[in-house]
Amino acid sequence: MFEPEDETVERVIQHLRRPVAIDAGLDARVMREIAQASSPRRRVWPRWSAAAAAAAAAAVLGAVLVARPWAQNATRRADTLQFVLVAPQAASVALVGDFNDWDPARSPMQTAHGIWATALRLAPGRYRYAFLVNGVEWRADPGAPAAKDDEFGTPSSVVTVGGRGS
Amino acid sequence: MILAALLLVTQVAAQDPRLERLDPDARSAVAAIADSANGVGLPVEPIIQRALEGATKGASGARIVAAVRRLAIDLGTARSALGTSASAPELQAAVAALRAGATPQVLVHLRDVRRPPLTMALSVLADLVASGVPADSAAAAVLALAPKARDADLVEFRRAVERDIALGAPPGAATSVRVNAGADVFTNAAGTPGNPPRPRRP
Repeated sequence: MFEPEDETVERVIQHLRRPVAIDAGLDARVMREIAQASSPRRRVWPRWSAAAAAAAAAAVLGAVLVARPWAQNATRRADTLQFVLVAPQAASVALVGDFNDWDPARSPMQTAHGIWATALRLAPGRYRYAFLVNGVEWRADPGAPAAKDDEFGTPSSVVTVGGRGS
Repeated sequence: MILAALLLVTQVAAQDPRLERLDPDARSAVAAIADSANGVGLPVEPIIQRALEGATKGASGARIVAAVRRLAIDLGTARSALGTSASAPELQAAVAALRAGATPQVLVHLRDVRRPPLTMALSVLADLVASGVPADSAAAAVLALAPKARDADLVEFRRAVERDIALGAPPGAATSVRVNAGADVFTNAAGTPGNPPRPRRP
């Protein structure tokens, strides 16, 4: 037995249970996103649409895991590196390091379904960095070498951008 | 006039507004260390960044000053090994390698066998140690690969060793196996300097 409010909820549930119509070009678009994300020259975050958000987020995560830009891009002089942290419970994540004066306000990360990401253009060098979650919790990058000489008692990572390819 | 100009040059750090994030005592101490480093030709920016890291992480002023002082000393050691022509990124990477356990002699040897920049080779050495590879094994591996390997090859080598370790291989053994495979590839590519083939993935 449903109360009037329950009937409304039930109608919403029925509506949400309907199959989502996905156009035939979705696969092509997702693959194009992967190709763009794998490109060492430039990565651009798409403007998320509600229908494609989950697929695109998975595509970006997959592309980052495959491409590992912190290593792949390290042979260029100055290049764009993408930093990613999976933190579904986080309300905010900031990337801080030697490249932005360790200022959490300089490189806030954008999220899509708990996958936080941002891209920075870095000159050749070795940089220490960390993720600041919710403004209080320090996390190292699980996909990058650890900075073993941390003198301040919190985890950090390092990324090296090389200056040549040979 | 010259003295005034010299003073102006050597007191750059004291005017750096970024250091206002430190408490006054720490700020003046860090500025003095940075200015001293600048005076002997060492890069100042790594020192400033280490101080800012400490400030952002909420470290005490004393801890920040100690870290900055230690970094300045290590930068000097690295510069002594690599020479006055070493770039700031090379010196920073050399500091990481020294702290990982590489000796200054390893840095000198690396400088002799590989043309600059040495940043990636030094970083890979430090990162291998961070992965659990003994410092002497990591140094031997990098020195063996350094004459022929590209930066990208060194990164791929490091990743391969890390993969092997993650799969359960002893770090030292993983390093020696991978370095032997890599050295063979680079030696065979000696006829095409600057463009050796990359090791195939298993």
